Amino acid sequence: MMHSIDPILVTVIQRRLKAITEEMGLVMLRTARSPILSEARDFVTGLYNAKGELLEQTAYIPILAFAVPLSIKYMVEYFGDDLYPGDVIIHNDPFTGGNQPTDVKIVRPIFHQEQLVGFSCINGHQADVGGAVAGGYNPRATEIWQESLRITPVKLYEKGVKRRDVWDLVFGNIRFPIVMEDIQAAMGGCAVGERELLKLYKRYGQPRFEAHLRHLYDATEQQMRAEISAMPDGVYHGASTIYYDGFNLGSTMEIKVAVAISGSDISFDFAGTAPQTMGFVNAPLGSSMTSVILTLLMCLKNPELPQNAGMTRPISVQIPEGSMLNPVYPAASTFGNHMSDQISSAIFNAMAQVVPERVTAPWNPLFAIAAVGYNDRIQRPFVDILFNALKGGGGGTRGADGYDHIGLIGCGGGLLAQDPEMFEMKDPLFLHSFEYKQDSAGAGEWRGGLGVELEMEFLNDGNLISAFGDGIDPGSEAGGLLGGGSGINNSGALTYADGRVHTCTNKEMVVNIPRGTRWRQVAGGGGGYGDPLRRPIDRVEQEVRYGVLSKEAARDKYGVTIDPLTMTADRSGERSLPVARSCGEAPVSATDGAAAAAV
Amino acid sequence: MYRIGVDVGGTFTDFLLYDDSGASSVFKTPSTPADPSIGVLNGFGKMAEKAGVSLEEFIAGVELIVHGTTVTTNAALTGNGVKTGLITTLGFRDILEMRRGFRESAYDNKMTPPKPLVPRDLRLGVEGRVTFDGAVATPLDEAGLLDAIAVLKREKVEAVAVCFMHSYANPEHEQAAKKLIERELPELFLTVSSELLPQARLYERVSTSVLNSYVGPILRNYLGYLATALDNIGFSGVLLIMQSNGGVATPEATSKTPAMTLLSGPAGGPAAGIAFTAVQGYEQCITVDMGGTSFDAALVQNREPLLRSDGWINRQRLALPMLDIHTIGAGGGSIGWIDEGGLLHMGPQSAGAVPGAACYGKGGKLPTCTDANLVLGYLNPGYFLGGDMGLDFEAARTAIEEHVAKPLGLSVEEAAAGMFHLMNVNMAAGLREISISRGIDPREYPLVVAGGAGPIHGGMIALEMEIPVVLVPRESSIFCASGMLRSDLKHSYVRTYHVLGSRADQGVMLKSFAELEQEGRRILKTEKVEDEKRLRMEHAVDMRYLGQHNEITVGFQLDEFEKGGIEFLRERLHQEHDRLYGYALRGSDTELEIINLRLVAVGITEKPQLQVTELSGADATASLKGTRPVYIPSVKFFRDITVYDGETLAYGNRGEGPAIIEQITTTTFVPPEYDFIVDAAGTFSLYLRSSADEYLRRVLPS
Repeated sequence: MMHSIDPILVTVIQRRLKAITEEMGLVMLRTARSPILSEARDFVTGLYNAKGELLEQTAYIPILAFAVPLSIKYMVEYFGDDLYPGDVIIHNDPFTGGNQPTDVKIVRPIFHQEQLVGFSCINGHQADVGGAVAGGYNPRATEIWQESLRITPVKLYEKGVKRRDVWDLVFGNIRFPIVMEDIQAAMGGCAVGERELLKLYKRYGQPRFEAHLRHLYDATEQQMRAEISAMPDGVYHGASTIYYDGFNLGSTMEIKVAVAISGSDISFDFAGTAPQTMGFVNAPLGSSMTSVILTLLMCLKNPELPQNAGMTRPISVQIPEGSMLNPVYPAASTFGNHMSDQISSAIFNAMAQVVPERVTAPWNPLFAIAAVGYNDRIQRPFVDILFNALKGGGGGTRGADGYDHIGLIGCGGGLLAQDPEMFEMKDPLFLHSFEYKQDSAGAGEWRGGLGVELEMEFLNDGNLISAFGDGIDPGSEAGGLLGGGSGINNSGALTYADGRVHTCTNKEMVVNIPRGTRWRQVAGGGGGYGDPLRRPIDRVEQEVRYGVLSKEAARDKYGVTIDPLTMTADRSGERSLPVARSCGEAPVSATDGAAAAAV
Repeated sequence: MYRIGVDVGGTFTDFLLYDDSGASSVFKTPSTPADPSIGVLNGFGKMAEKAGVSLEEFIAGVELIVHGTTVTTNAALTGNGVKTGLITTLGFRDILEMRRGFRESAYDNKMTPPKPLVPRDLRLGVEGRVTFDGAVATPLDEAGLLDAIAVLKREKVEAVAVCFMHSYANPEHEQAAKKLIERELPELFLTVSSELLPQARLYERVSTSVLNSYVGPILRNYLGYLATALDNIGFSGVLLIMQSNGGVATPEATSKTPAMTLLSGPAGGPAAGIAFTAVQGYEQCITVDMGGTSFDAALVQNREPLLRSDGWINRQRLALPMLDIHTIGAGGGSIGWIDEGGLLHMGPQSAGAVPGAACYGKGGKLPTCTDANLVLGYLNPGYFLGGDMGLDFEAARTAIEEHVAKPLGLSVEEAAAGMFHLMNVNMAAGLREISISRGIDPREYPLVVAGGAGPIHGGMIALEMEIPVVLVPRESSIFCASGMLRSDLKHSYVRTYHVLGSRADQGVMLKSFAELEQEGRRILKTEKVEDEKRLRMEHAVDMRYLGQHNEITVGFQLDEFEKGGIEFLRERLHQEHDRLYGYALRGSDTELEIINLRLVAVGITEKPQLQVTELSGADATASLKGTRPVYIPSVKFFRDITVYDGETLAYGNRGEGPAIIEQITTTTFVPPEYDFIVDAAGTFSLYLRSSADEYLRRVLPS
């Protein structure tokens, strides 16, 4: 090699690249107005080389993290020599590498001494992208145009000059003016990325810098390969199910994956996965790929390795075109990122045979509502996604119970529930209660994370709710693993003032909800891991005392009898499950399904 | 008369003693964790001995003791607070444990939530509900409340917190609960959330209230021991306790808000930074303090440290005003290690004091930052702690060779240089957090470096960040103790007033401010501050643009608000928003929301003067100790460089980098890009050679 490698400089460069992507993120957090960006932090910042390969990134929410290289590689091909310093490209198209269409990328090519050396990019969930419904979640959509403006790569700026015609066309088709401000925020972040990356080029010189980058890729690749090599070779199968396409009640769609490990390589083949659905229950390739990688990271001994193209080299992913995880033009796909729950489930299901000590049982699959109405206190309409009510439990794993109230796996615990007081201050909604749900967690030596139950009341007339998600139908709850039991289902129901009850399906819109109506929602728990009979009796006893486990469940699921007077466990004799429960819909049976699918 | 700053640390208790002339002396005693007051008294004994008088005679001459304590911090960090109960609104008892469903690490599925400070069976919900505007939706169920109190009695809790939904808007129910609890359980330590923190956000309020109760009895007992011990030797001066907000308060005030001491450990630093940089006419600085395991960075603007209104301790939320200090896991004990891809890392694991660095010879086998500093020649093996503690050079080499050099295929020196460099890069990242992340350009700030290991790295961190001036105060190893003596009395108050800007009532706001001010004056009076000249009231409002989720605290002079009204506040919000986030929504019809009113009542204390010395010449040859081989990063080579005796360097003395300045407790490395001069207060001042002319005018008399 022409340039001798200084191993210390490799680490230093990696830290600096990471710091740059964090600084890009700070610009975004400071200047973005939509709470989806500034509060929920639903975006990723990254730097890429001239081929579109990842140099480093900062993902506040993992689900957006690994889709960007696909799009940039497409742009490199698409624009060819037609890229210049000062260009700014916008893109959201799921069919050329995008996530779900609400995730909009801003990309800036970076030139050093008149040569293209890389790109900076911010990929963020925008409050609106046009289409039939504000915010983009349209369960009635059958084509992309009913959910968003489709933006194939197009330049908003060329050579530093704003293309007013393109700008006006794009923002003339998006509802909220704040989206324009948030796109400007992303452009600001990308400019910082460009400036700081060029400083590194100047400081070290292009040949030396790039030689060290190559070494960084190699070192990260080696780290990943060391992890994979430690896993036994073989082909392992996993599966999971998505319930209801939004059009055919009772419909189910299956995800199938074959994970092949050979030496230090790993591949994921989704052959046999259900074909794309007619509605928005489809994950664009970018979302599917990201789900695969974030799940694999969770299976590693050290998931904190540098995130660059070297890391992904040992990984290959095959997803049949036209399947639900790689739908073809012009499919709708705004539900796509949420399918990470089931993609992860299927992969953990397979990886349980490989690294049983590191996978988790399935997590509670997302079920959410957006409540829309009028806030007369400030005379404005409001939209409130009930982040508090949607966060169920994570799956148990060896050595650790599932994380309570963590929410969907694609967010990894980064999405926060609203504070109860701020929730009531902000919108005309009244919280009656919001607590852990008793017996919601899947039983296990390491139980699933607890789910929650929320009850609230609408204080004004004329409200609408739009429900989307999964986990409501029997069988769609988070299953157990290696002998663990299932978490409970999600549910949501309106109780009108006259006592009438309307129970929601997992893709539905309800309108004209009057004041005094109550909404009760349960986010289920995560799946349990390992035989519940092996859970220490002290823990069972303690959780009964805490009230997160009932005495009945202690007996039926853990074989522990609690004396109702002393609240202490009977420690005499062997623990066993009551006979009547072991063949019914008892928790253990859910595991059998998982095991069967794994064969 | 004497004044004493006392900083109780994990290993040592540091003392700084000032007399009337401004002369200061430093003392250190081993800390006594079981009852820290013993170590404190031992230190006073040492001082008396040195003065050649009895302890009683000595203490009779002490007018002020400012005391920094970590008893609450340690209780919170180790989970050793008292058994605590919580009474809260029915249906909301899990808010404390849920922590809004936050997991700090996205991919680590073995990470479990922290244990709540109150277990679920001691978190008791009681019926009764207030709405966001203070209206009572459901009356308080007093029978239910008595049942809850009975449970706490049966369970023998030692402390309790009461926190109901929206109590900041109407504290009626909490006050009723307080009455009953005081009647039924008079001996209990009680925190009433609307008294401690009358501010919206239930999670913040409940977590803070519980923390306050959890550590309350521990602090109260400790202050009791200390007061008795001081009484016994006849102390008749004033005792003040350091608070997390950078202020000090009496033991009486502190006993009611023990949570205010939870993050007070490094809070003396910025005040010391202000004093040492003021000698050179600065009004702003960045202070860094590098200890054995952690690195604290803080920023001062207009002679005021940056504050934040909340933070975390051991993954529990603490929503009380505190200095904005950024801490990272980097210190002398940080361990170097190689990952599976062959990349070097430093820390965050630390060898701590035991087993310590390999060169300490106390059983540590892993290579630490201190070992690298020794191998590179920055530390003198024969002069560590003035020669009191020998360092094992070969042990340091062996540890680095085995764990870093061999796996990377480097020489021991190259490996050590890599470790040193990486430490500096990591600490520079910590500096970015408190400067660039807050929209501040660090190059405009002098860097004040403290802590045992800090001055070896300070120059290199500054170089990394292009900071032109680095100040190493002579008392840098007991920096915090020195800051404590320069802190004002401070009491922070907050009251929620949630209203749209267009509907805000200036009269209501002014009345609230007046009430808060009255309370501040009352407390300060108990601390013997009545003279108007020693009083300062700092007013602020938390505001945001309608629709935003996070508010900004905007400070102002009360008379400006009286004159300008709500329009004035609107303009201030635009200004602050623009400064922090780079844009403002001026000119549009953007509505704003007011959330909280804040007041800080400050009692200005008399600060000890830094002793200023006579100008001596530029010539520093009298302090030359010789030369020794030291690693020079810019040339990646060892060179024999000049070593100065820091104990004898005087005002005006100058030297060229690269150089080493040795003191008993600290070693300063002057990188080749910098020269140094000693200022009037004896501070070693490193400056980039390129900015010499401008800088020297600042230090030397005109």
